[in-house]
Amino acid sequence: MTRCEKVLFLAVLFCFGFTAQAHAGAITGKANFSGQAPAPEAISMNADPACAAAHASPPLDLSVVVNPDNTLQNVFVYVKSGLEGKTFDLPAEAVTLDQKGCMYYPHVFGIRAGQSLEIVNSDPTLHNVHNLATNSKEFNLGMPIQGMKLKKTFEQPEIMVKFKCDVHPWMHAYIGILEHPFFSVTGDSGTFEIKDLPPGTYTVGAWHEKYGVQEQTVTVGDGETKAVDFNFQGA
Amino acid sequence: MPPSSPKLYDNKKTTIWFSITAIVLFVSLVAMVLQDSAREWKEWQVKFMELSREKAEADLREAEHKIDSAALEKIKADREKAEEDLKSHRRQIGELTKESEALAVEQAKVNARNQELKQEQDSDRYYYEEFRHKKEEHEAEARRKRMETRQAELDGLRRKLDQLETAAAAKKEAVNALSGKVTELDKEMARMTEAAGRIETKVEKLTPDWRSAVLNAPMLDFIKPTLQIQQIVVEGLRDDYYFTKVPKVDRCVTCHLGIDQTAFTDAPVPFKAHPRLDLFLSPDSPHPMEKFGCTSCHGGSGHSVSFTTAAHTPRNEEQAEEWQKKHHWHEMEYWNAKMLPMNYIEASCAKCHQGTVDVPQAPKLNEGRRLAGTFSCFGCHKIKGFESYWETGPGLLHVQSKLQQDWIVRWLQNPKAFRPSTKMPRLFHLSNTSDPDSADKNNALIAGIAHYLIKNSEPVSLENVPGKGDPETGKKLVETLGCLGCHSAGDKQANDHGPELLNLGSKVKPEWLYSWLKNPKAYHAGTRMPDLRLSNEEAAHITSYLLQQKDEKFDSLRLPAVKPEVIDQTAMHFLTVTMREEQALEALKTMNEDDRLEYIGKKAIIHQGCFGCHAIKGFDGAAKIGTELSEHGSKDVEKLDFGFVPIERTRQAWFFQKLKDPRGFDHGKVKSYFEKLRMPQFDFTDEQAEALTTFLLSMEKGTVPLEMQKRLDLKEKNIEAGRFLARQFNCQGCHTLDGETGRVRSVITEPGDYPPAIDGEGKKVQPQWLYHFLEHPSVIRPWLTYRMPTFGFSEERLTALVQYFSDLAGETPDYKREAVTPESPAHQAAGPELFKSFQCIKCHKSDPEPGLASSFLAPDLVMSKSRLQPEWVADWLKDPQALQSGTMMPAFFPDGQSPMPNVLGGDAAQQIEAIRDYLWAFDKAEAANAMEKPEAK
Repeated sequence: MTRCEKVLFLAVLFCFGFTAQAHAGAITGKANFSGQAPAPEAISMNADPACAAAHASPPLDLSVVVNPDNTLQNVFVYVKSGLEGKTFDLPAEAVTLDQKGCMYYPHVFGIRAGQSLEIVNSDPTLHNVHNLATNSKEFNLGMPIQGMKLKKTFEQPEIMVKFKCDVHPWMHAYIGILEHPFFSVTGDSGTFEIKDLPPGTYTVGAWHEKYGVQEQTVTVGDGETKAVDFNFQGA
Repeated sequence: MPPSSPKLYDNKKTTIWFSITAIVLFVSLVAMVLQDSAREWKEWQVKFMELSREKAEADLREAEHKIDSAALEKIKADREKAEEDLKSHRRQIGELTKESEALAVEQAKVNARNQELKQEQDSDRYYYEEFRHKKEEHEAEARRKRMETRQAELDGLRRKLDQLETAAAAKKEAVNALSGKVTELDKEMARMTEAAGRIETKVEKLTPDWRSAVLNAPMLDFIKPTLQIQQIVVEGLRDDYYFTKVPKVDRCVTCHLGIDQTAFTDAPVPFKAHPRLDLFLSPDSPHPMEKFGCTSCHGGSGHSVSFTTAAHTPRNEEQAEEWQKKHHWHEMEYWNAKMLPMNYIEASCAKCHQGTVDVPQAPKLNEGRRLAGTFSCFGCHKIKGFESYWETGPGLLHVQSKLQQDWIVRWLQNPKAFRPSTKMPRLFHLSNTSDPDSADKNNALIAGIAHYLIKNSEPVSLENVPGKGDPETGKKLVETLGCLGCHSAGDKQANDHGPELLNLGSKVKPEWLYSWLKNPKAYHAGTRMPDLRLSNEEAAHITSYLLQQKDEKFDSLRLPAVKPEVIDQTAMHFLTVTMREEQALEALKTMNEDDRLEYIGKKAIIHQGCFGCHAIKGFDGAAKIGTELSEHGSKDVEKLDFGFVPIERTRQAWFFQKLKDPRGFDHGKVKSYFEKLRMPQFDFTDEQAEALTTFLLSMEKGTVPLEMQKRLDLKEKNIEAGRFLARQFNCQGCHTLDGETGRVRSVITEPGDYPPAIDGEGKKVQPQWLYHFLEHPSVIRPWLTYRMPTFGFSEERLTALVQYFSDLAGETPDYKREAVTPESPAHQAAGPELFKSFQCIKCHKSDPEPGLASSFLAPDLVMSKSRLQPEWVADWLKDPQALQSGTMMPAFFPDGQSPMPNVLGGDAAQQIEAIRDYLWAFDKAEAANAMEKPEAK
């Protein structure tokens, strides 16, 4: 985009009432973890030698990953309500889900309804990608060839859709499907950031595979950045 | 003396009286005419006209709103401009028109001459042929010559006509070119306003004016009134007026004017459209109005046109009150076929829908029928359609090997005290037999029955339980082997086909349960309990688990004391039915205590009809004890004994009451013990009683001629026969089939553990395989803990089931084995290559390893060639989800694309065929070969 085009683009957005682009707010924060986390479990991949061969030592299960600073990874944070009636442009680029070493990467991620999901098999073994969506069409694709790529989209928003591989029962991933771009997943710092948010009052949801769902209400003003922390409690 | 009048009467007085009577007569005449013409239905029709007009006006506004007024204005302006243009060409058009007319005249002349010559030619041809035949050559020659000359002239005329036609067309085109624009715009305008115009005409028609006023005026309304009675004459159906039968005439549509029109879906009653126009009344529905009318389903008096005499039936008392106020409604006491209240309407479906397990779209009726089967109404009552129903209660021919006499006594006192979910009704100690005297009799009869049953049963040999089973393992087996497919146990309540597995430790001995589990048919040949092919250990574990649970309260129930004098009294009662008293006393003396107990037991079984549900020695083929119910839906209401129960005098109210409180109609009556009502207490819920009432109302005297009923073709009959078997053996207890989800799924957490869905099985597997599988089930999915039981089906049933699955899938069973061979060497080579690339063997292992999650595995493909239909395999490979949604089998050809572009040109269809063909050559050796590869370390 040239500068001129950018200006024009923003002007058009402005005309349509998306003043947020000019005075974007943000929500940032952390997913804190307290209590006892289960000991990370090593996955036995002996059932498929092709999988076992991909790892020097058995990889750890990603269901609960607690960072050294007691924050929690793989928490899906998203704007649950407050954006009703607004529409947002769909990104042209696809989101990638990779099957590598018989694990899904990323383990938890978000996508827009209607956005392309590119599923890659980087392994020299058969995987099948079976989603258990209820709002969108369920699919179950066989991916026998290494390097094979398939593209799929989800029609309707849903929190969260589980992906599983029936060939390798340990493999699973979760995907949050939304009609807007305001979501984030905590990583090894346990933080998240939802940027470019128009001013307003929002319910923010935080989902974790083991520790369930939490919600908080936040009001974000013009150009304001609000901090919200979620606290997850282990056993 | 006044002058005597020459007249015998006073002229003036007479005139006065005459005028008065004339006026009175006239006034009463007018009143009569007016009263006669003022009919309830006319008011409704006027209201309906108003409503229709309002609707049409709204439609008109909408249609007008839809017209793009700007575009219309533009067209109008364009037209004006075109008109102006046209004016300037008026002279030219005039000339052209004149020339056209001249051409037309010329054309007509030439045409006439042409016709004339043609006739002459025909005439000459005739004579020419005649003369030639008579060999009058000279005459013939003359005709021939004339014909020749004339033909030349005719040809000329033909050419001339062509020229004229071309010229006329040219002129017309020239005129069109000048005035066409206006015509075109006119057409365009008409097209835009067409819809609105149509509605406008409709509105006009619906607006009352002086013409309709005159046509509907009293005395004149015989000519062609706009308000008139509407009726449907149903060909072939007749209404019974006791002494005569007349064709069914339904005049309901006189007031229910919008009943078949979707536009009146939200209109107020009586104009509201039928709520299910997809099923009823619409011409393209299965029950079009002209063919079915209204009263054939709803009942009521079809020929009547007043609210009350049409025999409307209110839904409830509130509605009755409302109707009394609004429509001066009262019940039509002497009209037997009153309208069915809406909650029982499904009863009418059975008038035409006979001989099927279920009636489509009639859930309440179906539930009623099902309940009549499971609660065995037919055990005591003869009911048409239940002749071949199965035995519902457990057989008691060998009961001494199973139960203790004391247990039977406690059970008969109140079966639900032991098992609340039992279908066995309570026969004794009910509302009409609770007085102390009756209670004594109840206890004596119960003791008698228990005594009779034990004494009149043969022992069967029982196996000893080998070793002590482990109850924990037993519990797991009960929950995972398939018991839950028919029985409920603990908190796992998915099925009630068999009795709930509850407190069996208080009921049966370990040896009996063990032997029963191992081979149910050895104890009772007629049982529906199948053989789960349990190993001795499995049976022992299950036995120990099921017997673990006891009901101590039930066990400690005091056995009621039985008074010997009551036994004697009762025995005397039965004896005196056929003997004089002295004889009876003599007979009684010959019996000892045991004999007397057995004697009254036998008589009590006859009195209560126990053999209706249970096989009991000595009662083979005994007559049913209850009234026949086959035509109970038509039973005259006055023949039902309402006793002193304050309920509505309708069939449905009586049925409902009888089902809820079977002995209730005895209240306030003076009867001896054995005269009292005998129907036992089932403790039906209101919903069950309503469903059963619907069923009973459906049991009507046949009024619909056979040819008008729903007739089943051979295929449908096969399907119904299969559905009957599927219900009898509870296929849907485990399997998803025929629109029903496998019930046991509700207690299984992992979808991979579900017993398979077998919808479309007739398309999937080969009939001969299915036959043998149903006869001797074998393991197809070794990871499933659920076990397909051996039902011991007869040959007849096996054939019926195979046919059922085929017909259900729209297939004709093909018993000859299909030869499946690859199309070409290329295909033959591609098969194993694709098989390897797609890593089919990864899930379809030939020798599955234990310890993996169940969803990891898939059937052994060595079986395919003897089990599956080749077409199905290809369809399955194409899109597994389409055939079985949720399946673990992934799609390898999503959107018809193959991930292997280098095999068979990347053509998905050909690759699918190659894999399928390879499966027909896939044997143990090939499987072992394929297994080696991925296992190599």
